[in-house]
Amino acid sequence: MTSSASRYLPFRALGELSETRYWMYLLLLPSLVLILLVIAYPTLYGMAISFREMRLTRPGLDGWVGFKHYAAMWSDPVFWIALKNTVVWVTAAVVLELALGLLTATALNRDLPGTKIFAVLILLPYFLPNVVAGHMWALMLDPRLGVINDILVRMGVLQSYKAWFADPNAALAATILVEAWHGFPFFALLLLAGLKSIPEDLYKAAAVDGAGVAAQLRLITLPMLKTVIAAAVILRVISLVNSPDLLLILTGGGPGDATQVLSLYAFQTAYKEFNFGYASALSVVMFVILMIFAVAYIRMSRITKE
Amino acid sequence: MIESKRHRRLIANIATYTVLVSLSAFCIGPMVWMFLTSLKYEADIVTQTMQYIPSRITFDNYVAIWTQSGFPLLIGNSLVVTLLTVTICVVTGTLAAYAFSRFAFRGRDRLMLGYLVVRMFPAVMVIIPLYVVMRGVGLVDSRFGLALAYTSFLLPLFVWMLKGFFDSAPRELESAARIDGSTRLGAMVRIVVPLARNGLVASSVFIAIAAWNEFLFALMLTTGQGSRTWPVGLQLMVGEFQLPWAFWPPAASSASSRSSFSSLSSNEPWFRG
Repeated sequence: MTSSASRYLPFRALGELSETRYWMYLLLLPSLVLILLVIAYPTLYGMAISFREMRLTRPGLDGWVGFKHYAAMWSDPVFWIALKNTVVWVTAAVVLELALGLLTATALNRDLPGTKIFAVLILLPYFLPNVVAGHMWALMLDPRLGVINDILVRMGVLQSYKAWFADPNAALAATILVEAWHGFPFFALLLLAGLKSIPEDLYKAAAVDGAGVAAQLRLITLPMLKTVIAAAVILRVISLVNSPDLLLILTGGGPGDATQVLSLYAFQTAYKEFNFGYASALSVVMFVILMIFAVAYIRMSRITKE
Repeated sequence: MIESKRHRRLIANIATYTVLVSLSAFCIGPMVWMFLTSLKYEADIVTQTMQYIPSRITFDNYVAIWTQSGFPLLIGNSLVVTLLTVTICVVTGTLAAYAFSRFAFRGRDRLMLGYLVVRMFPAVMVIIPLYVVMRGVGLVDSRFGLALAYTSFLLPLFVWMLKGFFDSAPRELESAARIDGSTRLGAMVRIVVPLARNGLVASSVFIAIAAWNEFLFALMLTTGQGSRTWPVGLQLMVGEFQLPWAFWPPAASSASSRSSFSSLSSNEPWFRG
């Protein structure tokens, strides 16, 4: 009897502790410590590294260098190319994904028989890991074995097999296509949820007033979806700017620097050249640009006000 | 009038199905092609005329990867890392989500926003210093270290998702337990957590799949066989074996389960955050 009571003593002490007014802070403590440890501290440390010389290949080289990396970036042609490519790549991919997502969501929202099955099939790519999606498309776009080349040649679009990732323009376009394939279900899912929340009555009223399909889309659907679209776009832009995975697998930034984007450039600077100082400076700049964009975008679309 | 209306609806339905069928084909076409290719003999892949339907089927590709490339080890590492990530998130995240859901305290909203904002930090910006920090404490190339790194972006998500589920669990039962003399801790463990167990499972599955599929952190933070996960193994193997057949099953199974989960469950939590 006594032994069982003493065994539960820690629990009883915790139970008593839960009655104090500090309980919620105790509950938050473990996760907070963890987040501070694995994000906040490394992030601040990373900002510090960007003002230092740190190359893992040359351990002797160390010390504060001030804005050296930032100045180097200013005169680094690859940085400007990567910046331009990031803008082009992200804009094109998001526009394409938004268009496809809107089309899909509208079609799914009509709730015709069999819609559920189509929804599962259409969502599949989004949940495929980047690595697998990347290699899958690399195989299909392969200059020798690629099925896409074969289909295009058979259809008469191409004269002969094309090395998609060897031609600078085609490489960027091809990676945008792969990204659109991988990402548009995300828009479809969010927009579908948005569409479902638009009351049916609005459309009926509009139809009574003689509004056609185009007018309904322009006057009801798009305004009602504005918030969802704005949220989806900002989330997608953030994740696209931040994740170099797909380009890392498909092209590695090549040919030349035709598909080099900021996140990939920063990653390669760290992973291949072990130049952590410069890589940190790159990612800090990328983060600042992204934050400026996010704040401006949120202000402009005023999603927080609704 | 009625005739033309019916006519118009028919056209709309045909258009809808055309869109759905072509988009589905666009989505699963590449996956079907990948699967078919994985069943072909090497000689049938590298041919002059492309074979659309394999003329003969083999499972050699799967056998080869399984036996020759340390594939079981990679899957094992992925399992361990995923399990550790989920455990860390469940233990610490459940407490935090409960606090956010049930208590009003100073700085609560700001803290919750903070949890959300850290998710927006570029992975690259976190990875580089994290590598340096983890190298300092000997956590590079360790499965525990990788799991810890994963919590950096999965724990905030988990907390936000689970908070939603806690919010929708009725407070009355909890109050009743408190009146019956249960402590806050007792009420939480015995009443609220069991009530939100579906949400707990859903959130755990979500982060488990994210950890299972993660690539960039794993590429940077693992260097040897001891902790390498399957997406990294796949990336490194492509040069060696040319084509990554055997990765089809783990990838496809997690993708299809997630896909059916989110389109069939009415209460999809992941885009709330």
